[in-house]
Amino acid sequence: MIRVRPVARLAELRLLIWVAALSLVGYVAVVAAASGRFAWYEIAVPVAVLAVFGLLHVFLVSIGFRGDQLLMPLAVGLTGIGFVLVERLAPTLLLQQLTWLVIAAGAFCVTILIPRDLSVLARFKYTWALVGVLLLVSPLLPFVGREINGARIWVGITGLAQFEPWELVKIALVIFFAAYLEEYREMLSTPPRRFGPIPVPPVPYLLPIVAMWLVAMLVMVFEKDLGATLLFFGIFLAMLYLATGEPFYVAIGLVLLVGGGFVAYHAFAHVAARVDVWLAPFNSDLRFDQAYQLTQGLFSLGNAGLFGAGLGAGMPERIPVVWSDFVFDAFTEEVGFIGALALLAFYLVFVYRGMLIALRAPTTFLQLLAAGLSFIVAFQTLVIVGGNAKLIPLTGITLPFVAYGGSSLVTNFMLCALLLRVSDITARVRR
Amino acid sequence: MSQRTIAANIRRLTLTIAIAFLVTSVGVGYWSIVAASDLNADPFNPRLIAAVRDRPRGKIVDSSGRVLAESVRDGDAYRRKYSDRSLAQVLGYASFKYGASGVEGAYQESLIGQDPSDLLGQWKARYLGERTEPGSVVLGIDPKVQAAAVAALGGRRGAIVALDPKTGRILASVSLPNYDANALVDPAQQDAAWGQLNAASDKPLINRVAQGLYPPGSTMKIITAAAALESGFDPNQKIRVDDPYQADKSWGDYFVRSSSQAHGDFDMSLAFQRSENIYFAKVGLTIGAQKLGDMARKFGVGSAPALDLAVGKGQLSNGGTIDRPTLLADTSYGQGELLVSPLQMAMVAATVGNHGVQVQPHYVTEIRDSSGGVLRTVGGGAGDQIISAATAAKLTTYLVQAVEAPGAFAFGAKIAGVHVAGKTGTAENPAGSPHGWFVGFAPADDPQIAVAVIIENAGQGGVDAAPLGGAVMKAALGH
Repeated sequence: MIRVRPVARLAELRLLIWVAALSLVGYVAVVAAASGRFAWYEIAVPVAVLAVFGLLHVFLVSIGFRGDQLLMPLAVGLTGIGFVLVERLAPTLLLQQLTWLVIAAGAFCVTILIPRDLSVLARFKYTWALVGVLLLVSPLLPFVGREINGARIWVGITGLAQFEPWELVKIALVIFFAAYLEEYREMLSTPPRRFGPIPVPPVPYLLPIVAMWLVAMLVMVFEKDLGATLLFFGIFLAMLYLATGEPFYVAIGLVLLVGGGFVAYHAFAHVAARVDVWLAPFNSDLRFDQAYQLTQGLFSLGNAGLFGAGLGAGMPERIPVVWSDFVFDAFTEEVGFIGALALLAFYLVFVYRGMLIALRAPTTFLQLLAAGLSFIVAFQTLVIVGGNAKLIPLTGITLPFVAYGGSSLVTNFMLCALLLRVSDITARVRR
Repeated sequence: MSQRTIAANIRRLTLTIAIAFLVTSVGVGYWSIVAASDLNADPFNPRLIAAVRDRPRGKIVDSSGRVLAESVRDGDAYRRKYSDRSLAQVLGYASFKYGASGVEGAYQESLIGQDPSDLLGQWKARYLGERTEPGSVVLGIDPKVQAAAVAALGGRRGAIVALDPKTGRILASVSLPNYDANALVDPAQQDAAWGQLNAASDKPLINRVAQGLYPPGSTMKIITAAAALESGFDPNQKIRVDDPYQADKSWGDYFVRSSSQAHGDFDMSLAFQRSENIYFAKVGLTIGAQKLGDMARKFGVGSAPALDLAVGKGQLSNGGTIDRPTLLADTSYGQGELLVSPLQMAMVAATVGNHGVQVQPHYVTEIRDSSGGVLRTVGGGAGDQIISAATAAKLTTYLVQAVEAPGAFAFGAKIAGVHVAGKTGTAENPAGSPHGWFVGFAPADDPQIAVAVIIENAGQGGVDAAPLGGAVMKAALGH
């Protein structure tokens, strides 16, 4: 049980002040660049955002929380940058995003409070798997499923909010995999036979890999979402590796993924289009059509240079749907390569802290859980930044904490809360 | 024990992630630092156009100072106004939506007051937001020659280009069909105009002078002759011509046909006058694929001319080499799988006229600042000796005879009182009747102008094109 005795979190407080100052300066710069002036009342939105984070800090202090003190400031810094970018790129969505932030903060507190002993999660692993699968197929259901921008990954009620269930699926999947692999890892990592370096576990243990691959391919085909496919399979392979330490499984998985992708390229127009755009975005047939978004994104990067055009002084608004798909390029255009490196460093430190929490966690389940959740943040960042910079084909994955989007904000704060809970449990066990 | 291995796996995964972040950072650095100047100068990047939306862009003028493109006020923004449709593809357009092309695209920075030679102006524009007032971009186009070229081509599909053989300055450039660029910069019409121009089967947006690719037909014989002369072939040697010709039975039902169903002995001079295919096919077979291919490549066949606007490369053959005797025979008289642009053929004529020295062609001659001072000049490099002066002199003699001798095919290019050197060509093509070519230069001993003319699907081929070349050269020489 968590004893209710307040504990000072001074490192967290100090860091929060720094990232709050960073977001405030950014916000003022963006507003001033757009209108040429800054009125005092315009500071209301960033102050409200920061107040929410202040309350979260007070909440953690008041319940005597003993978890990591770096994760929250990092998440707040990224979210603050996200709000600066929403104001810069889509100011009409600002209040909506603020509403989502309040919901996200609520989800954060609930996650911190309810699963007091996280092993509860492990016990109901098949429930989580079921929830995950249901959420996964929910966009395909009639009445609630929605197809937006060519991807059928939304549920919603017309006129009311819509939600990307995928975001929540990620967490359910990591919980399930962590629990499942904790139970079966011995059998998977010590196969009875080996052909040279190649481990051959009994066929029943290979089945989950094939099943996961099939589900990933189904998502690609029916929900037309390359990002979800990649993320789904990526999480699975990473956690399989974490549990077994067997690079051969990863190799099989990658071969299956590339093979599936190759077949899909030839069989499905929406997959082929993404790949063609990636290979030759400046092709004269594509650049005003399907590749328009990517070429405009690259022009944004090209305008960045070392120090950027300055907040509010670039032209990232030329990129279609920039506030959700291309925030990274928009950010880079205005704060430069240096700023982009700083942003990537925020993510890398977040992931590093998350992995550190995993290393110290007292049980295998908690280790796998924390490492899997940290991996999500790393993988999403790499996939979308890679897509924005034409290193890999573009997918609809969101940049964690920064990109506009309610589902993603709520999920990321829950993810952050779960990591904090693991570190809190560790601190109490090692006390 | 089991937890220790998981810890090792976590460490390895974290290391992999860190490496992936490093690679990603390098990728971002590539686009934002290394590729930045290419991206910023890309004609489809809207930034440079947008940067001066509320200010006028610089003017584009021809060599006489006539204004070809300028900015006019339209509400609270500026819009470009283009006043010479015959230069549509050369001037291009500067559209906020569709980017820029032609001189508007290639000299974009100069036109917004950020010429690359003006480092202080560039620095001010980037970091202080202060823009130098733009100057003007001066084309080498001579209005007199341009008007003659427009009149000569009439309304026919094709292209005419004229340039100064000694400097590479382009004096006239016409490509038909063309378009009204004013529609592309008018917000009310731009979408319809853009859609229509891109869908048009006769491709009006293409600058046929530099981007149009055609089989060269008999104009190629200049290159074949140059290869022969440079390799010691005796031009006075009589070669027997009997129409139709095949080297041996291995050619099957394939024959080279004479342009005049000839039976008789030809030397190089007579072969040029009558444009004798069988003579040049035999010459090509004698010197071999290697020498012919090398010479064609030296003249620029299959490579992009270093023009200041977009160019087509063309090709020596589909595979890049001449790999069989029938292809060697065909290539020698200008058919086979050859593709060249009118500009490339004008440069062939110019190089022969300029005593074997090939200079770089260029549309723009100068960039001026807002007060009219010259910021920098364009073009004017030394040039490369492609063939010896002696070979060039011999070729010139043959090309003069190809125009002036009795019964010569290129008689239509004659100008009273001036020796004209020239060669017609008739390019067989799968789409309709043959294209008509003429390339030439004048005066033959000290050329002021070299031209290339192509008329797409001309009724009689080269014979139709020669008078057009004559008319353009005459205008340039002031006759």
